[in-house]
Amino acid sequence: MSAKRKDELRVRKLFRKTRFGSAALFGLVVLSISVLSIRTVSRELRDEYVGNSESIAKNIADSSVDILLNRNLATLQSLIDQFVQIQSIRYIYITSDEGEFLAHTFVPGIPDQILESDPSVNEPVERSIPGLGDFVEVGSPILSGVAGNVHVGMDLELLGLKIQRAVGQQVYLLCIILVVGVLATLWLVRLASRPLAQLLGYTTVLAHSRQRGTTPHDPILGRDDEIGDMARLMHFAAVGDPGGDESE
Amino acid sequence: MGRPDEAGAPEETSAPEPGKGPRGRPVSRRALIRSTVGALAGVPLVGGLAAGDGLRRPPGRHLRRPKASSDDEIVLGISAAFSGPSRALGTELYRGSMAYFSHLNENGGVNGRRLSLKLLDDGYQPDPCVANTIELMRDDSVFLLFNYVGTPTVTRALPVLKKFRDQQVYLFFPFTGAEPQREPPYGEFAFNLRASYRQETAGLVDNFLAIGRRRVAVFYQNDAYGRSGWAGVREALAAHGETIVGEATYTRGTQFDSSMRRQVEVLERRSPDAIICIGAYAACAAFARDAEELGLHVPVANVSFVGSENLLALMSEERRDAGSHTRWLVNSQVVPSYADTSLPAVREYHELMARFDPPPPTPDQVSRIVEGEEYETVPQSFVSLEGFLNAKLIAEIIRRMGDDPRRSRIEDAVFQVRDYDLGVGERVRFGPGRRQGLQRVYYTFPEDGRFVPLDDWGARFGA
Repeated sequence: MSAKRKDELRVRKLFRKTRFGSAALFGLVVLSISVLSIRTVSRELRDEYVGNSESIAKNIADSSVDILLNRNLATLQSLIDQFVQIQSIRYIYITSDEGEFLAHTFVPGIPDQILESDPSVNEPVERSIPGLGDFVEVGSPILSGVAGNVHVGMDLELLGLKIQRAVGQQVYLLCIILVVGVLATLWLVRLASRPLAQLLGYTTVLAHSRQRGTTPHDPILGRDDEIGDMARLMHFAAVGDPGGDESE
Repeated sequence: MGRPDEAGAPEETSAPEPGKGPRGRPVSRRALIRSTVGALAGVPLVGGLAAGDGLRRPPGRHLRRPKASSDDEIVLGISAAFSGPSRALGTELYRGSMAYFSHLNENGGVNGRRLSLKLLDDGYQPDPCVANTIELMRDDSVFLLFNYVGTPTVTRALPVLKKFRDQQVYLFFPFTGAEPQREPPYGEFAFNLRASYRQETAGLVDNFLAIGRRRVAVFYQNDAYGRSGWAGVREALAAHGETIVGEATYTRGTQFDSSMRRQVEVLERRSPDAIICIGAYAACAAFARDAEELGLHVPVANVSFVGSENLLALMSEERRDAGSHTRWLVNSQVVPSYADTSLPAVREYHELMARFDPPPPTPDQVSRIVEGEEYETVPQSFVSLEGFLNAKLIAEIIRRMGDDPRRSRIEDAVFQVRDYDLGVGERVRFGPGRRQGLQRVYYTFPEDGRFVPLDDWGARFGA
């Protein structure tokens, strides 16, 4: 390894902590923003999901009153069949005030878990039904519950996918910012370290020259920045007049 | 008024002499019949009679846009299943009606007007049916809606009739026994000929309970049709102090090659004495097949919508032991057996079906039918007999409007039918509070490849 290369490495060592610190800082920012984003998006999407389910359940409940009172169950079934075409809705069932299942969308039959539940409970509840999946179920009373209840099951897997997609997009963007930021920092550090490496190289050459009794001349002496000042200062300390043109 | 043999001639072509084509060449009897059948479906005939080269049809959703109400034509609008797993129902219903209309038009039509059909395919799906109904309602030339197929389709089309109530377009004789077109708020827009699912399921329940089969389960299509039948069974059982012991469902459009084992297992856990199926033939045949194979040996009853002949054909396909797979079947019907030639209407049906042998609608006539989607017609069936009776009665109603048929007079004309002999052994009666013409339900079971009347339930299914 040449002396010049060794000097450059020494200079890079000087900035190693700066580089590592910058990358760590960027990583921390990305991580914290991602975690915050996941939590916010998850909560908001879930709230929106449940809110929509409640609106749909209420809508069906309001539309069902006359149909139920007219005992027109075919029309009732037709009504819920239209709602179940909405992508996130996986099932709907309507029970009478006595808990009898009057219309539903289950195939091949009503799951035991649903059969065993209390249809008068309308609070959001999470269900995991074997063979069907995971759901959040919300209910709404029909005519304040005296005519029955409507329950709507929303697909949690679909919600999970939506959250993944939304969060994934944000994390993807942050990762791009992280990579660009780190690369930019490295470039800036490299930009800052190059003159120092040149100065170091010049100092080394100056020391070797003095041993040989010669005086080197280097373009660095012509720089008009701090590095040039330092080079000229070192030259003056070693040789005397920096502008002098001493030779053997 | 146009003569029947002119019926399909294009407007700009001068009518040929009776019995001859436009170029004066003799017309074969077969070509004459085909031209009449084609004309009924709104098929324009471009020089086809003389050449005897059959019908040439322009591309499009329907063969031609029927001209506005005229002195020589009355157009009936149909949206039905002419494609998909239930196409046999729409097709056979159409064929039965066509047999009668062909005969009618050949003899001068109704009061000098020939009856033609505007066909739209909905594939037994609600949304296309709604779109088709709107299209038919906006077509001023459509006099009334006729021969719709299915509960989920009709249930969704009824609000369209209410929306366009000012136009006074009524739906006649839909192929469904559901309640929505029999009750408020939409009952006033439809007239039914057949008995309801409530009547069919009540009859099945009564007969099962009478022979000691009290644990009745239901297998049904998970839509408005299935729910209508389910409600009928529930109500009939409640009248006897019983409840449905178990239920299983399937999705509309399920094919015969699908497995119904999960449905059979769901019901088997409830140990039923009898199962009533409310479905279409493909799914019900699959269920009966799997029930037999899994050892669930109880009577499996189907209502009229199932399409008995198509069900039997599927269950007998490539099977040497078809008898064992169908031995537990019992089907309710809303028309008498087509084998009962003691009835005048059945004799007429046999004669006209044999004479005209109406072909199924072609892709030219109904856009959704795919080229190559072959359909093998059934010589006689309960479905085509129902289509035949529907056609016969609608022709009678239009006849009663005399020389001035107008939509505003349709309801009055229907209510004039108070004691009409359709030739099926039961008088047809309509009135302001009675929008269903026939009430009788028949029960049949498979024997020698066809469904025959079931007289002794105890002997066949006694517990």
